[in-house]
Amino acid sequence: VFKMPPSPSVHPAQLKMKGLFVFAVLLAAAFSRETFVGNQVLRIFVADEASVEKVKELEELPELQLDFWRGPGGQDVPIDVQVPFASLQAVKIFLESNCIRYSILIDDLQSLVDEEQTQMIRQHFMPRSVETFNYASYHTLDEIYDFMDLLVAANPNLVSKIQIGNSYEGRPIYVLKFSTGGTKRPAIWLDTGIHSREWITQASGVWFAKKIVDSYGKDPSLTSILDNLDIFLEIVTNPDGFAFTHTTNRMWRKTKSVNAGSACIGVDPNRNWDAGFGGDGASSNPCSETYHGPYANSEREVKAIVDFVKSHGNIKAFISIHSYTQLLLYPYGYTSTRAADYQELDNIAKAAVAALSSLYGTQYRYGSIITTIYQANGGTIDWTYNQGIKYSFTFELRDTGRYGFLLPANQIIPTAKETWLALMTIMEYTRDHPY
Amino acid sequence: MQRQSEARLGPLLLLLLLPLAWGKGPSPPRAAEELQVSNRLAGQAARVALHYLNYRLGSPSALRALGQVRKATLKTIPGIGHKYYLQFTTEDYKSSLNVGTCLATVFYLKRKPRPAVNINCTYTKDQKQIREDDYSFYKKMRQQTKPIIGNDIPDSYGNIEPALEPAWALAVAGSSYLMWEKSTENLGYFMAQVKNVKQWITKDDSIDFDYSVVLHEIPTQEMISCHLRVIWTPGHPLKVKYFCLSENQWSESEEGSGTESGSTNGIFNEKEAHF
Repeated sequence: VFKMPPSPSVHPAQLKMKGLFVFAVLLAAAFSRETFVGNQVLRIFVADEASVEKVKELEELPELQLDFWRGPGGQDVPIDVQVPFASLQAVKIFLESNCIRYSILIDDLQSLVDEEQTQMIRQHFMPRSVETFNYASYHTLDEIYDFMDLLVAANPNLVSKIQIGNSYEGRPIYVLKFSTGGTKRPAIWLDTGIHSREWITQASGVWFAKKIVDSYGKDPSLTSILDNLDIFLEIVTNPDGFAFTHTTNRMWRKTKSVNAGSACIGVDPNRNWDAGFGGDGASSNPCSETYHGPYANSEREVKAIVDFVKSHGNIKAFISIHSYTQLLLYPYGYTSTRAADYQELDNIAKAAVAALSSLYGTQYRYGSIITTIYQANGGTIDWTYNQGIKYSFTFELRDTGRYGFLLPANQIIPTAKETWLALMTIMEYTRDHPY
Repeated sequence: MQRQSEARLGPLLLLLLLPLAWGKGPSPPRAAEELQVSNRLAGQAARVALHYLNYRLGSPSALRALGQVRKATLKTIPGIGHKYYLQFTTEDYKSSLNVGTCLATVFYLKRKPRPAVNINCTYTKDQKQIREDDYSFYKKMRQQTKPIIGNDIPDSYGNIEPALEPAWALAVAGSSYLMWEKSTENLGYFMAQVKNVKQWITKDDSIDFDYSVVLHEIPTQEMISCHLRVIWTPGHPLKVKYFCLSENQWSESEEGSGTESGSTNGIFNEKEAHF
């Protein structure tokens, strides 16, 4: 016959410690437990040395099967202890009778364990797919590279992955090719993330990739674009810089190449192209954010694209995406001389900006690089334009300076959606105006 | 008769055709030239005017951002400098809603270190609400027994903890002083991030914050680290001291109205913008 614990109406001060613990031992023996059901974690507040000593007495009773998560230390240091269900009442009465304050940190340990299990299963055993990928959040390099493989696996007849080179630190540089066949069809090139801190661009690139596969066969315009042209999309154009923005410096812009004779690292990949290379719109100082590098195409990330474009030979539109300040730009940046196709480019830009604005009212300015943003020498689209790729454009995405590079993730999808409308305008125009 | 009228028409026709002739070749030097609204220097000047306004208003709840430039004219005063005449719309810094239009002049002087700004704006935001919001922030800060501290606002993902948002807005107001001072016709700034904020608990009426901020400089693309001390009592001019890592000494805002470098000739509290 068990001795029942005294009812709460009995004054705890009258209880002797030993009796309580005998009871607890018996209870523990009676209910052998395999799970944490009913177990609690208590936080005990010890205001003086005497209280610390009292709690230490509890430690000496293995039959209570207490599990100290944070054992007794000095006074004023809270003590955390997991108490099995069987011992709970005894321990609480002990603390109360000794005027030791406590609170319940976790009132059902098993439910917490169950929750954690569910989460782990979700992460490791849930089939990862492009459908469950979170487009409304920022991702790491590995996550984006995984996404690319998933996209190709889910759409093998439409998408393939090409490695166009390696970064300075040896990371592979990948381009997604969207094609419905043919041989070296005229093509459209899109790149995001050339400046690593411009996170909205890589995030938008991921969304664009998914948008293309979702639209083929459903959206007549995109379908006809892909039935006639190929699309190349380089999502992480500067993988070394991107990795660095995650691990070390969120505001890193350049590549990670070592500069001879300087402690400063990196070259601005958008000043390293062979168009007006080395002029005033770039810096010759390796420590500068706009350092052009020792010579044009010195950067592997840039050379990879140059080699690809030259060997492909049939790219008809080239769009390089940056952030921020909400602009749509066309050549030139290195000279104030107007591009030969200035008027046509201006008309396209005007239409693209109107399309972008139609979705949420987001306002963009447009014009040549040099008049709209600043003089820039050795820039990407000046080179591509001079190569004969007439429809060469650069975007500067959201916002206009409130958050700048640190654009909140809840703006990723709206930004990508509105930008897509502008891209479609340019791509449709390219399809309809072969040259 | 015919010949006479032709002779009179001749010079008249010439006068009419002159502007066309000018349009084709390089335009003759003019004292004032109209700029395209998409012109980068116009936008840059408008932003400088707003830095000045945000600093002078000294109100975290009334901060404005640039909407769109509606009209811009540039006047070159030989040997003295360049003066921009601007009309632009503005947005509430937090909500992005349109809050009125401004007329401003921004004078980049060759000899003085910072641009001289004159700015008048209409205001469609409820002034009473602004004062209440400012006071509610002020009161909360005055009631702190433990100083407010924070890092990386916004964080890498663009998040701003709601509790730290007013302190961030005060940093924008304080940084506006520094960005105004540092701006030139060709160098512009954005406040990229508050790296660190620490409140000083004071015994007087003001609230007092220490900030480390990072500014984004255009067109150099540099990220400039600056230390900022902002002392604020609602309804009083913001007191700002700053020190940027590229400089050798602290710079301080002047007390009083500071009319030599610019002015805000009042804010018109109209319910609608009548521009």
